[in-house]
Amino acid sequence: MSWNRVAVVGAGMIKFGELFDQSYEQMAAGAFAAAVESVDLGFEPRAVEAAFVATQRGTLWGQEGIGGNTVPSAMGLAGIPCTRIENACPSGSDAFRIGAMAVASGVHDVVLVVGVEKMRDKSSEEGLLSRAASGHPIFNRGETAPVLFAPFATRHMYEFGTTREMLASVAVKNHANGALDPYAHFQSAITVEDVLASPPVCHPLHLLDCCPQTDGAAAVLLTRADLAERFTDRPVFVAGFGVATDHPYLHEKSSFVGLKATQLAAERAYAMAGLGPSDIDCAEVHDCFTITEILDIEDLGFVDKGKGGVASLDGETGLGGRIPINTSGGLLAKGHPIGATGVAQLTECWWQLRGAAGDRQVELRHGNVLQHNVGGRGSGVSVINILTTNQP
Amino acid sequence: MTPGVQLLAVGAAAPSWRLPAADVGAAWGRAGGRGQAAVCAPDEDALTLAAEAAHRALAVSGLQTDIVDGLWWGTTRPPFAEGPSHAVLARAVGLSHRSGGALCSGSPHAGIEALLGAADAVGAGSARVALVVVSDAIVPGLGTPFEARAGAGAAALLLVSHGGAAAFGPRVTRTRPYLDRYRGDRETATRDLYDSRLFREEIFLPAMRELGEQLGALEIDRWSLPDPDGRLGATLARQLGAGTPASAPVYAELGDTGAAASILGAVGTLDAAGTVGLVCFGGGRATGVTITAREPVPGAARIPAALAGGRTVTYADVLRARGQLVASGETVQMGVPPESAQFVRGADEMLSLLGARCVDCGTINTPPSIHPHCISCGSAKFVLEPLARHGRVHTFVVNHTMPAPFVAPLPLAVIDLDDGARVMLQVTEHETPLEIGVEVELVLRRYAHERGAPVYGYKARPLSTEDIR
Repeated sequence: MSWNRVAVVGAGMIKFGELFDQSYEQMAAGAFAAAVESVDLGFEPRAVEAAFVATQRGTLWGQEGIGGNTVPSAMGLAGIPCTRIENACPSGSDAFRIGAMAVASGVHDVVLVVGVEKMRDKSSEEGLLSRAASGHPIFNRGETAPVLFAPFATRHMYEFGTTREMLASVAVKNHANGALDPYAHFQSAITVEDVLASPPVCHPLHLLDCCPQTDGAAAVLLTRADLAERFTDRPVFVAGFGVATDHPYLHEKSSFVGLKATQLAAERAYAMAGLGPSDIDCAEVHDCFTITEILDIEDLGFVDKGKGGVASLDGETGLGGRIPINTSGGLLAKGHPIGATGVAQLTECWWQLRGAAGDRQVELRHGNVLQHNVGGRGSGVSVINILTTNQP
Repeated sequence: MTPGVQLLAVGAAAPSWRLPAADVGAAWGRAGGRGQAAVCAPDEDALTLAAEAAHRALAVSGLQTDIVDGLWWGTTRPPFAEGPSHAVLARAVGLSHRSGGALCSGSPHAGIEALLGAADAVGAGSARVALVVVSDAIVPGLGTPFEARAGAGAAALLLVSHGGAAAFGPRVTRTRPYLDRYRGDRETATRDLYDSRLFREEIFLPAMRELGEQLGALEIDRWSLPDPDGRLGATLARQLGAGTPASAPVYAELGDTGAAASILGAVGTLDAAGTVGLVCFGGGRATGVTITAREPVPGAARIPAALAGGRTVTYADVLRARGQLVASGETVQMGVPPESAQFVRGADEMLSLLGARCVDCGTINTPPSIHPHCISCGSAKFVLEPLARHGRVHTFVVNHTMPAPFVAPLPLAVIDLDDGARVMLQVTEHETPLEIGVEVELVLRRYAHERGAPVYGYKARPLSTEDIR
């Protein structure tokens, strides 16, 4: 494949949480400032040639259809080319992929990718829960976000004997990681008993099986690999990416124990990077619900199909485990400001590859880290990016 | 005599809730209150009950729905005060685009108006097969004596020109303008009688005596009689020497089912040969007719089972279901506005429950309008066909966190239908814990009430072990 290799030379984020005191614009500017600050040899903001901004819901009063112009204006870069990317929960990771393609194509040399999302300017009822009324007027009516994943939990438990304790072990592990992440929405450990005793949200998922509603923003700076030395002597490279779609309605799924979009995206990302699951040191995967992480680690090939629950319970995905998953705390503890989520995951990957993850640092054996999102209607969109320290 | 009009099959339906009369009395500081009334759950109404009764009558008749020439529907209060009530029901029952018929409404007398209107159409030869449905789910005024008796139910009758097990005999009508039970413009609930003694002595009993004397000249084996206030029915039966009327068990089980009441009682007698005298009253009109069964009418023996059962609920549950107890605060819109184009494109597939079977690989795609290409093979060649109405749960959830006006907990299930189609629908009347593999049937329910209009579609109802047997 002939494309310009792409380097990540800066990444940063703001602390996630219910940021009632910050506007959408302030969050975006904060993330950009953090990314600029992270560049080893300094970065002049006006070097940004183009930006891609991921905002999924635009859960803002009167700005639901926000365009690409708000973010450059907020960052003092009014006038630059900027496009809003909306591709469901993988919006941030897809904005990264598109930014990388803009560099890879040779059209732009320095590209900014920003993910920013206000989830808490509207109440739960007006915001995320209002999607209960979205979609077809009859089929699947009442499909709030947990309904997209809970049927997979029911079936995974039925086919593989996965238990609520196994699901809970994912939340326990990610909250333990979140306690080590100063950027996480939640920074305290929980127990399996806490998860089991939390109120039901969407059977078989309970409150602590679910990610919170979080405001946040994150940003990364991309450039051509051969220009990276201007900015850093420790660049991180884009090894590959994969995107896939699946049918948009749950009743169109042929299987409720795996997500086809993730499986297809993984095939493509691994093929592009020339890597396989055993070459990955750690991964940030989409854990909007505990069951989602179990599906992800199976669909990404880290464990056999059906073994995700047992592997989680046995600690294989913990910080010291065989394949550490969601060292940042994941969506469950760090939070899921949808457009920002993928960019924040990539920021964690960048920190891990540069040995800058503090108490969360994993041992880098291969120098490859994977980032994954899946979502949208019927969980029918998945985006995977693989970053590496290995020279292209 | 109505020449050449016969009864081919009958069916009935009752809503899923039962409200003890004593609970209503207690709420208003009144002691006592006997019996119970059948009440619609939030997703049921006069139209869903009508559809279920019609479905049962059609099922026992063995007829294909497309040969039915028309639908005659009698209901005091159609779900659209003005609008496509008749067309929605006709489509939900699976009648053809060419079917005719009529919607009779405005008082409990609407039931027999629909029945005799259909009989006249068959007798005149303008319809060979007529479907009659009578149903009601009257919302009573709060605190009225009628409130504890206001019930809900439906009956369906298939009329044909020949080949039925029962035939219609003579009819008698008396009319006297009088304001009995009524609902005024801009009112949501039905008012009770103004003066029950005046009604009893001057209106109801005199009209009924006249009808009874006329019909009583024939050999009537059973009577099915109206009971507008919970006492007049028994008085009338005594005066006619009718013994316990066939309508009494219907009133006892369901309360006052308005347009359906006496007709439900009458069809219940048709499981054996004999003549029933059927009398209906409402809106200042009284009409009686006889029906003589030569042999048991298909479906008649199943009437008691169709009316029995139901889950006992509280008065507060009923008030919420009837929209008489409403939470303050924000609610979300529940769906696509019923007047939108999606309901034009989707009317057949949503109300007749159609799927698109791929000609190349056999996969059934649902709903057809959003599947121009097959989800399995990508082909664009389809045959439209009705979906199976029975299947098993493949997986499910119970949604506990929903914005108003959705009511939690709300179960949703992915269902593998017997024809191989897969659908995901809300689950209704769900009492025991759902499990993978549970058998369900698809039933018409009211999904939402938006911009003042009902939105209908199918839900999955788990079959009880009794149903399966």
